[in-house]
Amino acid sequence: MKSTILLLAICASAHASVWSEHFSFEKIPNPPGTDPQVGAMDMMKDGRIAVAFHRGEVMFYDPSDSSWSLFASGLQEPLGMLVDEDGSILVMQRAELTRLKDTDGDGSADEYQTVFDGFGMSGNYHEFAYGPARDAEGNLFIVLGVASNGAPMAKEIRGEFSEIGEVDREGMTSGATWGKNKGKAGRMYARVNWRGWVLKISPDGSKMEPYASGFRSPNGIGFDAAGRLLITDNQGDWRPTSPLYDVKKGGFYGHPASLVWKKDWDGRFPLKVPVKELDALQQPAAGLFPQGELANSPTWPVVVPKGALPDGMTGQTLIGEMNQPTLVRVLDDEVDGVFQTALMPIFSGSPLGKGNNRIVFGKDGSMYVGKTALSWAGDNGIARVKWDGKPFLSLDAMKAVPGGFVLKFSQALDPETLEKISVASHTYEYRSNYGSPKKDEKAMEVKKTKLSADGKVLALDLGELREGYLHFVDMTELKSASGGALLGDKAWYQVIKTPK
Amino acid sequence: MRTRDVYMLGPRVPATISMKHIPILFAAALMPLAAAPDGEPLFTTNCSACHLLDQMVVGPSLVEIRTLYNGKPDEFVKWCVAPGKKRENVIVMPAMVHVGEEGLRAIYTHIMKVSDGVKAQKQEEGDRYVASPVHTARPQVQRIFMPDAGPAAIAVALDYGTSLCWDAGSCRLRYSWTGGFIDGYPYWRANGSSVAKLNGSIGYVEEKSPFADAGERKFLGYSVKAGLPIFRYKVGVATVTEGYSPVEKGKGFVRSFSVSPAPDAPLVLNFSNDENAKITSDTGVLDGTKLTLTPAEASKFTLTFSLK
Repeated sequence: MKSTILLLAICASAHASVWSEHFSFEKIPNPPGTDPQVGAMDMMKDGRIAVAFHRGEVMFYDPSDSSWSLFASGLQEPLGMLVDEDGSILVMQRAELTRLKDTDGDGSADEYQTVFDGFGMSGNYHEFAYGPARDAEGNLFIVLGVASNGAPMAKEIRGEFSEIGEVDREGMTSGATWGKNKGKAGRMYARVNWRGWVLKISPDGSKMEPYASGFRSPNGIGFDAAGRLLITDNQGDWRPTSPLYDVKKGGFYGHPASLVWKKDWDGRFPLKVPVKELDALQQPAAGLFPQGELANSPTWPVVVPKGALPDGMTGQTLIGEMNQPTLVRVLDDEVDGVFQTALMPIFSGSPLGKGNNRIVFGKDGSMYVGKTALSWAGDNGIARVKWDGKPFLSLDAMKAVPGGFVLKFSQALDPETLEKISVASHTYEYRSNYGSPKKDEKAMEVKKTKLSADGKVLALDLGELREGYLHFVDMTELKSASGGALLGDKAWYQVIKTPK
Repeated sequence: MRTRDVYMLGPRVPATISMKHIPILFAAALMPLAAAPDGEPLFTTNCSACHLLDQMVVGPSLVEIRTLYNGKPDEFVKWCVAPGKKRENVIVMPAMVHVGEEGLRAIYTHIMKVSDGVKAQKQEEGDRYVASPVHTARPQVQRIFMPDAGPAAIAVALDYGTSLCWDAGSCRLRYSWTGGFIDGYPYWRANGSSVAKLNGSIGYVEEKSPFADAGERKFLGYSVKAGLPIFRYKVGVATVTEGYSPVEKGKGFVRSFSVSPAPDAPLVLNFSNDENAKITSDTGVLDGTKLTLTPAEASKFTLTFSLK
């Protein structure tokens, strides 16, 4: 064991320097006097970056002279932003989706228009609101977090209250009896309307369609390059580990609190519905972030533009992560029409650090990573990450095939290092408890490896793939034919369907 | 670039037999009984999001855990399996029963090892951003959880003397106060788990919307002119604007309304009877707290609330 530890330690330090060999990492200056926790970011047409901060300021950062200017203020916990064609800015804050407009052209917003506020607020701290993501038709998708039993509801709410539950309204709002009631409320609860739901809102905000349910603390919503609506969620109750979902209309995505708002719901308290029944109702995750190993609190998905990262990653999805010092790459696959992915680290062990909440790309291909903590482990401010444009060895695609995987790399591999690849698989238990240990873990024998003529495509024959299992491929010691290290050397592929 | 033949490697030794090919994580999880698990990866997986080495974040620092549990591994394990509420304003830790006793003991050993000889960082006292240029500016509009209001509350500082709480949920003024503005730090320091504090004393309190009987209300947003808000909402079919500015002398506020389209019949608005406020109107008939406006007068009218 000792030699293994030593070896891993060396690898880890080697990789830190390798990321720095190809990328520069710098912190841009924070706006003076401002709490620099970043809740939302988007890119403006003129190359400035719009940033929304924890205490409600929306500011523009101009990379050409490193200056900040104030556009708007007074928002409540903005956690999503979309700069519109006309220069107005849509911002999702706790209470509503708001359009900020500068009508007199003085450089600051004078209109704070309510685009949509047709959802409930219980006053509980954990009811964060995220979005918007916009589809090709201009519809806006938002997603609403559920309340935590770390606190009761406020006496006064906005919206509708659901009577479904073991604790009545008086009990749900009384601090004095909360210690007694909190256990019965559910670790997370959705007693006001549309908590835990994705809502589809017409472009002008006038119409709303309840789109999908089952979310807990979904701090990431966006469309990928293929037009799939991706949403990330956080490990917790009913979340064995943090998931990535490909969200479809009408789907239920696992956290049962939101079911009380489902049309024609039979009135049962979701926590009393047998787990088997809930499990049968839920849609599988398209990807899983193993807790502690890859990500503990994944954030916003963005699409990698050309030039920001090596060509093989263009158009792929990149996701932030708050609690671990990394970002996450998504490698898309599809089996019989089912979207499933491998998730892998990028910049793990680099100077990027923790707290990576929002990502935007500058015109020069720079990546700006906005950070936050919100009293959890994290960071603040904005890191700028820039690739030096030189190629390096990376895993660019991972496909499930009958009995194994095919991995596509950016460069030819050193065949001598192939035997060091190891594969293991495990699953989790869907349950009300907070998180789940790994279940039914198994080291998978790599029966055969087969490298393509150009050395870039590797077939791993495992004899089988396990349906419903997360497959971990450890490529720590894999090298390129020229001896270069693999940047991002672990991948976790969630097999929903095995190809026949 | 070199071209190469297709490589076929023969069957390999399963990783379960050849230990050196298994990362430590898996070794720990696969053999919880055969060997003492490694506490570090278990700590990373289960604890690191909330416990930092030398400062409190969500839970206490490892340094503090050391002072609590050094030499008491049994008590540590007992707590982790069934944690409870120990501290005000700190969330309860989820039970770590899934880690297992062996794992928890390994985490304990890891925590004691890494925290040995480390000093806790001094915690920042108070709000580092209390002098934020945005939040010290007057006037100011800030959405935040407020006491005695709905969750969609908006705090407004009109000047350095008078502030008010307007509720975007029920589309109405809730109360005003005089003195300072708000201390938002109880809300901002974490993630909204406390409401803001009022710095001052309550002035006029409005018990219900003056339009309470005039139809359903729906919030439309607000505009900001010279930093002062003009709220906009629907009352039935009419759009109402309600703008606020400070009084020129003393304490109080000026409240300018517009109603569009103007009503067909006289409009009666009831304000609240509050000994802290003296109400005057520039138009219509004000009888105590009851304001009666002709349809023409209702299109635009202004009231002044002078506070003690």
